[in-house]
Parts: sequence; structure tokens; C-alpha cells
Amino acid sequence: MTENPLPQVEFVVRTIAQTAVANEKYFGDLDAVVGDGDFGYSLARGFEIVLSDWDTFDRTDAATFLRKVAVVITSRIGGTSGPLWGTAFLRAATVAAGKTAIDGETVVAMLRAAIEGIQARGSASLGDKTLLDALAPATDEIARQVGLGSDGPTTVRAAAAVARASADETAKLEARRGRASYTGERSIGSVDPGAVAVAVIFEALADAWPAAS
Amino acid sequence: MKKFVNDPRQFVAEMLKGVALANPDTLRYVPEYNLIMRADAPRADKVSVIQGSGSGHEPAHVMIVGKGMLDAACPGDVFAAPPMDYVLETSKLLATPKGVLHLINNYTGDRMAFDMGKEMAEAEGVQIKTVLVDDDVAVADSTFTIGRRGVAGNFFVIKVVGAAAEAGADIDELVRLGDKVNSVTRTMGMALTSCTPPAKGSPLFELGDDEMEIGVGIHGEPGRRREKLANADTIIDELLEAVVTDLPYERGDDVALMINGLGGTPIGELYLLYGRAHEQLEARGIHVRRNYVGEYCTSLDMAGASLTLVKLDDEIVKGLAAPAEIAIRTF
Repeated sequence: MTENPLPQVEFVVRTIAQTAVANEKYFGDLDAVVGDGDFGYSLARGFEIVLSDWDTFDRTDAATFLRKVAVVITSRIGGTSGPLWGTAFLRAATVAAGKTAIDGETVVAMLRAAIEGIQARGSASLGDKTLLDALAPATDEIARQVGLGSDGPTTVRAAAAVARASADETAKLEARRGRASYTGERSIGSVDPGAVAVAVIFEALADAWPAAS
Repeated sequence: MKKFVNDPRQFVAEMLKGVALANPDTLRYVPEYNLIMRADAPRADKVSVIQGSGSGHEPAHVMIVGKGMLDAACPGDVFAAPPMDYVLETSKLLATPKGVLHLINNYTGDRMAFDMGKEMAEAEGVQIKTVLVDDDVAVADSTFTIGRRGVAGNFFVIKVVGAAAEAGADIDELVRLGDKVNSVTRTMGMALTSCTPPAKGSPLFELGDDEMEIGVGIHGEPGRRREKLANADTIIDELLEAVVTDLPYERGDDVALMINGLGGTPIGELYLLYGRAHEQLEARGIHVRRNYVGEYCTSLDMAGASLTLVKLDDEIVKGLAAPAEIAIRTF
């Protein structure tokens, strides 16, 4: 896509962080339905630190930048969000390492690595009613769009649509991970807050995606 | 929401500052990591026993730091596991030649934060072992969940392990003791009202004036079911039945009985519940040898109670009877 991928990576990370901070109450209210309500708060407090430390991150290359962000998220965000989201950023950084350009295939590989990291850290699988249930289908959609040769804005818009539809679908699932899982069947009927967060983030990316990319 | 709160984001920090100022001779506060530690820790001649978990369960965990109990606690925000950084830095600060014991309540976030913190501290040369607490019978242990939750029974594990650590036991002995106490401890709770996290500003769930939630979690997680409010005897009998049949506790057993308030129930009501539970246990031929009534592990301002039983043997009784000194003083 671009010779120097850093600005685009920075744009994505900043959008994720801003979206997490802006949606603190919304994500928290979703979590309160069957969880304990701390998801929105934890995510917002953590990504606030990412934004406030923004200028201090090493920008040698995209991978180094992502790794620094991952360390902040992993070490400073409480609840389950820190370890899970931090692992995702770290795995994405590992794939980006050594790449001078980040093309569509690389983005898909970074997302797939992030998904594997979240699965391993949280011992979660698809269908357990977690953020994976939005992130994995959205990643599949990006892979499909990249295969079709779609441009950046088209790809991100398509991924956002799939993420939203998939997040809505989590209402039908019974939670098998996290505190919502303690409620068993009672978790059916409410959407998973992590999956909704993924959808909201993809929508924010689609809205703000640089037209020129 | 009617609470003593300034900025909800500073709620935990301001609480910890109060704990530290009220106990200047015995506790030390490290604000960077929400860390409350014994002023005399770490001591080379003992294993450091530490716990994290979310805030909002006071006196667990920061107010039970003291001689014969925890050496340190590093809570996260209200109802949120501490960040990995807190676990790592606390483990390093409390490192001793005899090692560091992590007592972890069984929740996904706590497990992840402590697993990662342990790995990183070990890489820096700290010896760490772990005891998991999972005493809540309300939660079915399925292949999908992480298992039972750790709730008020946590107190008994800390008490026995803390006493042994104070007496100089090595880390393997503490792990054996902690696992043993946990294995004979069972708890079940219920709620009359929701709780209100300061950052949320409104109740976590809606419970009608004539309703109760049986098997509730200490973070406001819904329980087994919601039903019409019953009288006190009916409620405590149900909790007792669920707990007794789980281990099971049997005729001839000696037990410790705890009635724990969840934060919003007066002590008088807790004693009312205790009286019924005690009589019912004796009627079953289960002998109450030690009793605990009060707030041990709360859920902010939730009205409600939990009942915990511990099956006793000489070793556990010795640990429970050992003297301890903690931050809460009512004299």
C-alpha cells in the first residue's frame, strides 16, 4: 500500500485508542448486562495512557512502534483487557517486523497472528462469545477483499459491516469465557461487549480511513 | 448514586491513601502500583504472601495486609484485575530468599495478570509459586469456564497460609497448606440489592424491591437465578443446603462457619443469619468449632450475604487460631 507504513499504523492505533476512550460508558454498560461492568473503564483508562504516552513511543519502524504500544497495554491495563489486547498488538508487531511495506496480505497475517495470540492467552475459541467472534470474521472479510484487489477504504468498510453483523450475532451465543460465562444460559440474548468493541473500532476506522490509501 | 467519592478515577488511590495514613507504623503505600505492603516486608526469613484481584471487596485485600496475613496486596481498579505491571513490581519488591507466594482468586483477568507477572518476575530471578482459590459453589465447573470463582473463602486460605508463613514455613509447605484449605472450603452468596461501582454511577443490575438473586458473584455477576424475596431462614437454609451438599460436609465433621456481609447489610442481620445457620448445622450433626460473622469479602455496597464452611482438622485450626494483626481496628 505504502512505502513507509508507519503513518498508517499510527493512524490505526490512534483510532483504536480514541474509540476506546470515547466509548467508555457504552462498553461498560454492555459489560454490566452479564459481566461486572469494568470492561469499558479498563479499556478507556489503558488507551488513555497509550494516547498520553504517544509521543514517547519509539518509531524506528512499524514493528517497534507496535511493540511499545503492546508493552503499555499489557503492563498498564487491568482486568482481562490488558493481557488480551496487549498480546494482540505484540503478535501483530512480530509479523510486521522486518517489513518495509505493509500490504494487504501482511495486514491479514498481522490480524491472524493477533487472533491466535488472543486465543492462546484467553484459552478461547470461536463461538465462545468473545471479541474473537467479531475479529475473526472481519479478518476473513479483509482477506477476501484483498484477494479481490479492493482498495483500502472499500476493504475497511466491508470489514466493519462484517464485524457489526458478527457482533450482533453474539447475542445468540452462550458465554464460555470470562465472567459472563458464570451465568451460562442467562448470557444468551445480550451481545458480547468485546465483539461490539471490535465492530465499533472497525466502523471508526472506516469513517476516518484516509481516502488516498 | 450517593457515595463518598470525588473523582471516580481516583477512588481506589484515595482509599489506599487513607489505609496508609491510618496505619503509618505498620503499612507502606507505593502509589505507582496500588501497593499496600507491610512496613517490615520483605523479610529474609519468610516467604512473602501477596494477592491482587480487583478493588471493591474491602477489607479484602488491602486491609488484610499485616502480621500473620498478607505481606502485600496490589489491587486493580474496582472489580478489575490488577495490570500485569503491578503484579511484576509487587513480586520484585517483596522478593525474599524463601520466595513469593501468589494467592489468586480464580478469575480470568487475575489468572492472566498473575501468570504473566509471575513469568516476568521469574525471569528476573524471583522464586514464585501459586495457590488458586475457588470456593464458590454457585458456579458450575464446566469445561468452558475457568472454573469456580474465588470469593469469601479466600480469607481462610490467607489466614492459614499467613500463619504458617509467619512461623517460617517454606514455600512448598505453604502451597500444600493453601491447596488443602481451599479444597475443604465452600461458599455460596445471595444479593438483596445490586452494587454501584463509582465509575459507573448507577447500579450494576436491577433487582426489584421484592426480588433476590441467589448465587450472585461478588462483582455483581448474576447468579443461579432470580426469585421472589423469601424470609431470612428460608434464604440461609438454601445457601446452607447448597454448600453442605457440595463437599459434602457430613455428620461428625468439625467446621468453621462464616457469614460474610457483602457491604450493604447491617451486622445485626448477619448475626440473625449466623444463628439459624449454626443451629441447622448442629441439627445435621455438623459441629461449628469456629465462627466468623462480619465483612470479609464485600461487593461495594451490595446488600446480601454469603455463607462459607471450612472442614477443620488440627492443622487448619492451628492456622486459624494463630494471632494476626491487620489494618482494621475497632478498638
